[in-house]
Amino acid sequence: MISLLLSHQLKAFWRSRNAGKSIAIQIFIGLLGLYLLAVALFVGFGLKSFIIAVAPGQNVVTTFCGFILYYFSFDILMRFLLQELPTVAVQPYLAQNIKRSQLVNFLNWRSLFTFLNLLPLILFIPFSITGIGKQYGAGVAIGFVVSIISFCVVNHFLILFIKRKTVISSWWMVGFFIVVILFMFGDYFHIFSLQNVSAYLFTGLIKNAWLCLVAIVFSVASFINNSRFLFNNLYVEEMSKSSKEKTASEYVWLQRFGHIGDMIAVDIKLILRNKRPRSLLMLSFIFLAYGFIFYKQTYFETNMLGMVLMGGIFITGMFMASFGQFLFAWQSVHFDGIMASNANIKTFIKSKFYLLTAFSTIAMLLSLPYGFINWRIIPIQIAAYFFNVGIHSLLCIYFATRSYKGLDLGKAATFNYQGTGSAQWLYSLAIFLVGGLLYLPLGFFVSPWAGIAAVGILGLISFLLQDWWLAILTKEFMLRKYKILEGFREK
Amino acid sequence: MLTVNNIGKVYNGKIAVDINELHIATGEIIGLVGNNGAGKTTFFRLILDLIRADRGEILSKDKSITTSEDWKQYTAAYLDEGFLISYLTPEEYFYFVGKLHNRSKADIDEYLQGFVSFFDGAILKSGKYIRDLSKGNQFKVGIAACILQNPELLMLDEPFANLDPSSQSRLIQMLKELHDKKRMTILISSHDLNHITDVCQRILLMEKGRIIKDLQTSEDTLNELESYFKV
Repeated sequence: MISLLLSHQLKAFWRSRNAGKSIAIQIFIGLLGLYLLAVALFVGFGLKSFIIAVAPGQNVVTTFCGFILYYFSFDILMRFLLQELPTVAVQPYLAQNIKRSQLVNFLNWRSLFTFLNLLPLILFIPFSITGIGKQYGAGVAIGFVVSIISFCVVNHFLILFIKRKTVISSWWMVGFFIVVILFMFGDYFHIFSLQNVSAYLFTGLIKNAWLCLVAIVFSVASFINNSRFLFNNLYVEEMSKSSKEKTASEYVWLQRFGHIGDMIAVDIKLILRNKRPRSLLMLSFIFLAYGFIFYKQTYFETNMLGMVLMGGIFITGMFMASFGQFLFAWQSVHFDGIMASNANIKTFIKSKFYLLTAFSTIAMLLSLPYGFINWRIIPIQIAAYFFNVGIHSLLCIYFATRSYKGLDLGKAATFNYQGTGSAQWLYSLAIFLVGGLLYLPLGFFVSPWAGIAAVGILGLISFLLQDWWLAILTKEFMLRKYKILEGFREK
Repeated sequence: MLTVNNIGKVYNGKIAVDINELHIATGEIIGLVGNNGAGKTTFFRLILDLIRADRGEILSKDKSITTSEDWKQYTAAYLDEGFLISYLTPEEYFYFVGKLHNRSKADIDEYLQGFVSFFDGAILKSGKYIRDLSKGNQFKVGIAACILQNPELLMLDEPFANLDPSSQSRLIQMLKELHDKKRMTILISSHDLNHITDVCQRILLMEKGRIIKDLQTSEDTLNELESYFKV
């Protein structure tokens, strides 16, 4: 029975509407997956030399043992963000003659098929066999492999359980993050050492390989816990949405902007109340932290400010880009209604422009503290901000008028390529091209600061010309309105 | 109110809509009947400028609907759930639509009082987003949102199909009232011949995109239609 249900899932995967549509995207995702897999395999088999390179002079096995728990605690966080609950899959079967326990089993099996489960196996098992197995014998190697698989299973079902709980009450999410943060602080300030704990546990495993039975017990407990919870809560209603009362909310401060404000209020609700845009918003906050990668001291020392500017454009524009890539497509389901309503097209486009501007402004304000790393970041970021509100936003709207694919708001955001077409790829390419073209002439031949000033000033001028631009964009939209509508209606 | 000149739309070689000439006068209440695929919804979409016609034009108050946006101010339509914003509560949606017509919240609240019996306690303060309402209740939200715009032209696609019997008769009553008191031009499509002959003064029968009969409703209309649809 379970294999039959799983075969349906396979069909659902291959026959999903956007599966066959764009071969280019399929190939791209496939290559990306292969690449990641190859990297993981490379790291997995080369783990020994990596450890020697990173921690020279240390005992390889002890370092390896100390690292395992680190990985699995990071794994938990990653799973919390990325792992999906396969609940919708069960809906059509609830009313069929299938036992509840079978359905629970099906859900558990279905959930196992995620790359998050493949990754730790590829990373750790090669070394467990080639490194540890060679040194301590097959028994210990089996103990390691079993433990690592068990840890994987523990994390997997623990996260499913926690995520299902967060669906019912968001306090679980708060609790989860508090625990994670406490752990991070505890380790960072040496209150306890995850590395020592991990090393202690796994070197113990080397001495007594049978201790892997303990890990098995944990994995079974985690599995049973999740199954029991599912068994008692297998109601579509409870799984798919919280039972909390929905109340109408008003954004009074937006009302003075008239129709534009009303439309922005609807867009804000769109982001907050739908799964895909909401998770994209959460990811955007993570993008804000990219400054730690982009704003390297070495760039300032070697005067490579162009790189910093690019980082600034990314950080202050990522909010905008992640929402803007589906600017109209977010509303694809009710685009008919919007177009037939008494909403003037120019006002509609203008509301989008203001919304994008607001996104960039928020990102700019939130990322100002990077100035503590180096004060030069602030003027560069402001130039990047002007570029984003004056040029990026317009490009964003322009490419939205050329994007004909609708999307489903209720699906998760990660690895969801629904609604993605060539327009999105061209859009991200265009941002970099235009940004580069504005920066390079002065930045390359005069000085980086001249290039940055050029980007900022041109951005500001373009922003001030918004009415003129928006009139052009409205015309562009009208040219392709029917095509957009037709594309959005096709689901 | 509406003038249709030689409008045509072809989908994949199949004629969806092909109407030579049609005039709809202000204050008329018109029913559109025809089997599935006859082109009723496509015709509605053409009137709302949601699809591009292959040929011909539609004039609303003598202005082409494709070049002017004026029709939006006096036209309200509900075709399917695609007209609702699914993640808003019904109240939020009503306020939003109201505001697009520059009507205040208090004004809308007062207006909604008139819908209390039509809503039957399932819509206002239901604590649900529109997407969580049943199909029938979604339809009620769509219809109410149209009527609160106080339009001159109202278009509803199969409004009776998803409603319970009491709501159907309430809707009929409402439509008649709107027509009598406000001289609203109303265009509805339906498969329910009884209702449509009850409400409408004029009935257009569509087949394969063409209007094959244009009837002023009389005693015999129902029989005539029934004999057409008989298999």
